[in-house]
Amino acid sequence: MNVSTSSGCAAETASGHSYSPQAFRRPMPSKEREAPEERVERCITGIEGLDNILNGGIPRGNTILVTGAVGTGKTSMCLEFLVHGALDGDTGLFVSVTESSEKLLKNIIPYDFFEDRLVKEGRLHFIDIPVMYDRLGLDKPVFDYEEIHILTDAIVGLVREMRIRRLVVDSITSVSYRLKSEEIIREFVLRMGAALSAVGCTTLLVSEISPSHERYSTYGVEEAIADGIIVMGNLERRGDLLRTLQVVKMRGTQHSRTKYVLDLTTTGVLLVPLLKGGSIATGGA
Amino acid sequence: MPAKIAQRLMEMPEGSAVALRMGAEQYFDTIRAILDIYAPKKELDALYLTSTIPARSIISALEVLEIPVEHIWFVDCISQIMMSASEKHPHAIYVESPTMLENIMLKVEYLIRKAKDRGTVVVVDSINSLAIHNNTKILSEFLHILVNNLRSKKASTLIFSMEQYETEEIRNMMNLVCDETITVEVTSSG
Repeated sequence: MNVSTSSGCAAETASGHSYSPQAFRRPMPSKEREAPEERVERCITGIEGLDNILNGGIPRGNTILVTGAVGTGKTSMCLEFLVHGALDGDTGLFVSVTESSEKLLKNIIPYDFFEDRLVKEGRLHFIDIPVMYDRLGLDKPVFDYEEIHILTDAIVGLVREMRIRRLVVDSITSVSYRLKSEEIIREFVLRMGAALSAVGCTTLLVSEISPSHERYSTYGVEEAIADGIIVMGNLERRGDLLRTLQVVKMRGTQHSRTKYVLDLTTTGVLLVPLLKGGSIATGGA
Repeated sequence: MPAKIAQRLMEMPEGSAVALRMGAEQYFDTIRAILDIYAPKKELDALYLTSTIPARSIISALEVLEIPVEHIWFVDCISQIMMSASEKHPHAIYVESPTMLENIMLKVEYLIRKAKDRGTVVVVDSINSLAIHNNTKILSEFLHILVNNLRSKKASTLIFSMEQYETEEIRNMMNLVCDETITVEVTSSG
């Protein structure tokens, strides 16, 4: 009895339906399938653990929401991202909304790898958004489409002019306080994200949320539009408070979705996997 | 005896994980073997992770034994939980509690980064005191990740286990993560 079937032949079932073995075969990985992932240009964050989580770095030009409660290390991580970039030849811009860049630099972790020359040589720029508002004549307490276009055009203009490759806006939540509808927030993030991506600028938008928040952003709009979401939180386990990081979304690359514990040190952000053997009393952001 | 223990350790390939079983009487001989003979001979930085007694007490003992601490760094997991106001030592960094196992790993990682070109040996003192504060499941997970992470960096791990306080669970855990067990025997030669 011959039971062999040649590849590609169609057979007929008892019910009369014909099928092809190929239709049921799991698609095999092919060069064409692997190619898009490999072709993606990476923006290496320089944070070793994060680059490992992201399979080599953030896809260049992505707009990422870095979200979490206060004291979870969002600003420190974003600054490190800029410093590593500047050391590696990527000019960086930090747009500070919540505190003056002078105060920010004063409180910055004294990184072993930070070099003053990066600021002096114009590889690392800091801009306070209130100063920008003044210069652009944006003095209204509430922004409408017109003001949003002026603001996004100004930021994108700076990025083009200074050939910025890495941008941090700290925080998008504070900017959004002046935007009174989800549509305007959507317009702001979409417009800025598209323009920055077009010039190959990788952007981190810092988002502040309360620990009990069930969404990744205050308005729920930013998270839907961003290419990636990095959640930073505090996890309480048997009375110990651990700082955590989790990448929940990243377009253009495969990535780990597990939760990591982080430490902010003078050698930069360090990450280790969250141990799962222990009981977790309460979850943070 | 310290020379004998050191000799056994010298024979281990780099990146090994070794369980050191001992009685309380052999405790300081073992420390001396590692910190005064093995690590200096191999030109290693020693990262001493203590959850048994505060780093300050070990440093005092090392001073008595005239062992320099230049290349010894401590991760002290016990001082802060004791709420003692003891003086901080420049070669010691502190973890709030021995239950914060991830933070212990992070401090070890930090010190390895700081060590830069020198090799490293990590001493875990001890599995028994860590077992007081953590359940076996999470402790096994911790040791498994720590040892394998250190192995990938070609750093050796030496884990103390006090025979008097060993349980079946601890023995199984040590067998699982360690390449070899060295039992430190009482010898009349000293």
